[in-house]
Amino acid sequence: MPIFKDESPPIPTVGEVADSFLLKRRSQTKEQILSSTYHRYDSYDNVALDNIDENSVPKFIPKNNLTRLTNMSRDNMICSKCGEGFEPQEKIVNSTGQLWHQQCFVCAQCFREFRDGVFYEFDGRKYCEHDFQVLFAPCCNKCGEFIIGRVIKAMNASWHPNCFRCEMCSEELADTGFIKNGGRALCHECNAKVKARGLGKYICHKCHAMIDDQPLKFRGEVYHPYHFNCTTCGVELDSNAREVRNRSGFAKNDMNELYCLRCHDKMGVPICGACRRPIEERVVTALGKHWHVEHFACAKCEKPFFGHRHYEKKGLAYCETHYHQLFGNLCFVCNQVINGDVFTALNKAWCVHHFACSICDQKMNQKTKFYECDLKPACKKCYEKFPTEFRRRLRRQHEASHKKATTPVPS
Amino acid sequence: MENTHSAPAVVPVNTVSCIPLGSKMSKAKKVIEEAREINNPELDLFDKGISTFEEMPGLLNMLNITRITLSHNKIKDVPPGLANLTNLEILNLANNHIEELPLSLSSLPKLRILNLSMNRLNGLPRGFGAFPVLEVLDLTYNNLNENSLPGNFFMIETLRALYLSDNDFEYLPPDIKNLKNLQILALRENDLIELPKEIGELSRLRELHVQGNRLTILPPEIGNLDMASNKSVFKFEGNDWVTPIRDQLQLGIGHLMDYLKSETYRVLYNRFSTNKPKIPNSCIDKSKKVSRIR
Repeated sequence: MPIFKDESPPIPTVGEVADSFLLKRRSQTKEQILSSTYHRYDSYDNVALDNIDENSVPKFIPKNNLTRLTNMSRDNMICSKCGEGFEPQEKIVNSTGQLWHQQCFVCAQCFREFRDGVFYEFDGRKYCEHDFQVLFAPCCNKCGEFIIGRVIKAMNASWHPNCFRCEMCSEELADTGFIKNGGRALCHECNAKVKARGLGKYICHKCHAMIDDQPLKFRGEVYHPYHFNCTTCGVELDSNAREVRNRSGFAKNDMNELYCLRCHDKMGVPICGACRRPIEERVVTALGKHWHVEHFACAKCEKPFFGHRHYEKKGLAYCETHYHQLFGNLCFVCNQVINGDVFTALNKAWCVHHFACSICDQKMNQKTKFYECDLKPACKKCYEKFPTEFRRRLRRQHEASHKKATTPVPS
Repeated sequence: MENTHSAPAVVPVNTVSCIPLGSKMSKAKKVIEEAREINNPELDLFDKGISTFEEMPGLLNMLNITRITLSHNKIKDVPPGLANLTNLEILNLANNHIEELPLSLSSLPKLRILNLSMNRLNGLPRGFGAFPVLEVLDLTYNNLNENSLPGNFFMIETLRALYLSDNDFEYLPPDIKNLKNLQILALRENDLIELPKEIGELSRLRELHVQGNRLTILPPEIGNLDMASNKSVFKFEGNDWVTPIRDQLQLGIGHLMDYLKSETYRVLYNRFSTNKPKIPNSCIDKSKKVSRIR
C-alpha cells in the first residue's frame, strides 16, 4: 500500500512586518519622545563644565554661567566621540559634563554644527532640530506639523493640544476629555445631543438635559417648556405654548416672546378655517375666512393652491381641473378644460373645435340643426342615413318624452 | 370589366389599373392622396361607398393619421393592419356592415374615441378591454349581449362614456364597477331584466339611459348616485316599474333617489329580491333591426 508522504519543500517562516528592526525602533522611539532630552549649550569659547539639569527641558544656559575648566589637566581629557585627546590651543566643547572636539560635536545625522547651539539628544546621540523632528517627532493628525512639547495621544493619532477639538462644536478637548462616538471625538455636550437625536429626542438648550416630553421651540432652540413663563399671565408653560413674533416683518427671532395657549388665543391671531389653529405666518383670506397657506386647498383633490387660481362654488374652493370636472366645462371630445367659447347642449360641453356630429365628425355651429340619440348629436344628413326602423323608434320615443314634459305634474 | 366599360370617359388612360374604378372609389383615393400631399392627419371618408379597406391603398402606411371617419360605408372586414396607425386617436366606423373586429384593434396606443355604432357585431374579440387610453366607446345598435363581452371588457379604466343602447343585454355584469371614470352609461332598448347593484359604485356617473328595457325594481345602491342634480340625466321611460317606483318617478328624480335610500324601500327591495316580480316580456320587436341582416 503506497504511503503518501508530504515532500513539498518547507515553507520558510517570515517574521511579521512589525518585527522589522526599523519599525521596532521607530515605535520605541515614539514612546520615548516625551522623555527625550532637549538641550541648549554654549561653548566655542572654551571648555565649560556644567551639568545641565536634564529634567528641566528646554533650558537655556547663558554664556556667563559656564565655568572654566581649571582644575583638570588637558592631558587627561578625551573627546567623548572619537576618544582622542585635545591639542593645547584647541577649543573644547563641554556639554552635559562631556567634552568634544569642535568638529566632533555635530548632528549624528547630517554631521553639521548645531544651529543656534540647539540640539536634541536621543539614545545617546545628538541631533540638530531638523533631523530630530524628521526622525523622531510625531506629526499632528490635524495640521500635519511636528509636535514639540505636549503631545495629545488620542483616537490612534497624535495632536497638538489646540488641534484636538470636538468634531461638532470645535471646543478644545485637551483638558476636558472626550467621548468617542461613531469614530468621532466629541465633547460631553455634543455627545449627549447626538445620543438624544438617536432616540428622537432633544437636549434642552438651557439645562442640557434630555427632553423626555414635548419640547418647546423658542428663538430657534429647543427647551423644556417649564423653564419659561407666559409673558402675559406668568403661568409656567407647557408644550402648547405659542411663540409670537412681536414685531411683524422683523426677520430675526430674538424679539419673539412666549405665551400660554389661553393668552395667545385672546390676542386676536387669525384662526385657520380648516384646522382651527392660529395662523402665525402667511394668512390667506378667501371665502370669508382665514387659512394657513398650506390648508387652503381644493375641496376635491385636497391639494393646496399655493397662490394658484382657485374657483369658488357654493362656499367651497376648487382647483381648475376639478372645478371643470365637477361643474362640467370639460370638452366631451378632447376632455380638456375649455378656454374661450363653450357649446353647451345635451348635458355636455364642447370647445369650438370639437363641436361636431358624432357620426360623421363634421364640425357644427350654433345654426346647425342636429338630432339627438342618447344625448349625442347627429347632423341631419347622418340622421337620415340611420336605419328606418331605428329612426322610427327614436321618433316615437321623442314624442313620448315630449308629451310627458308638457303634462302638468300633480302637486 | 363591365364597370370599366360603363364609365370609360371618367378614367384617364394612365391611371387604369386592374382594379375596377368606379366614381365613388376614386373619391376615396382622392381624399387619401390629398391628405398625404398636405400632410393632413385627419381623414374624412364617410359615405364613399367603400366596402373594403383594399379600396384605400396606402392608408395603413400613413402613420401620422390621428382621425379616420369611415361612417356610412359598407365595410365588412377591418384589417388587423389598422393597428399600425399608432397615432390614431379617433376611429369612426359608424353605420357599416362590420361583423367581426381584429384582435389587434385594442393595441392602438392613443385611441381615445371608437365609434362602432350601427354595425352587425355579434361579439367582440378576445382581449378587447386592453385599450390603454380609450375614453368613449360607442357600440350602439349591434347584436351584443352579456355573453359576447370578453373577460377583460371592464378593464378599460379610462372609459368616460359607454354606449350599449340597442343591443340584446338581459343582465349587465357586476364588473361594471371597475369603470371608475364612467360618466355616461347608455343601455336604452336592451332586454335588461335587472341592474347590478354595483352601478351604485360608479361615483362619477351623470348620465344613465335605461329606457325601453324590462326593468321592474332598482337596487337601493342606485340611490348613492348623484342623479338628482341638474348636471345629471336619468332616463327611465318604457319599463315595467313596480308601483312604488312608478309613483316616485311621477314626482321627480329627486323623490326617487330619496326613496331608494329610505328604510322603507330597503325592506321592499329585500322582499322583492326573494319574491321577484314577474319578468315582463320584451316589448320591442328587434327582428327588423338592420344589424340582424345576414
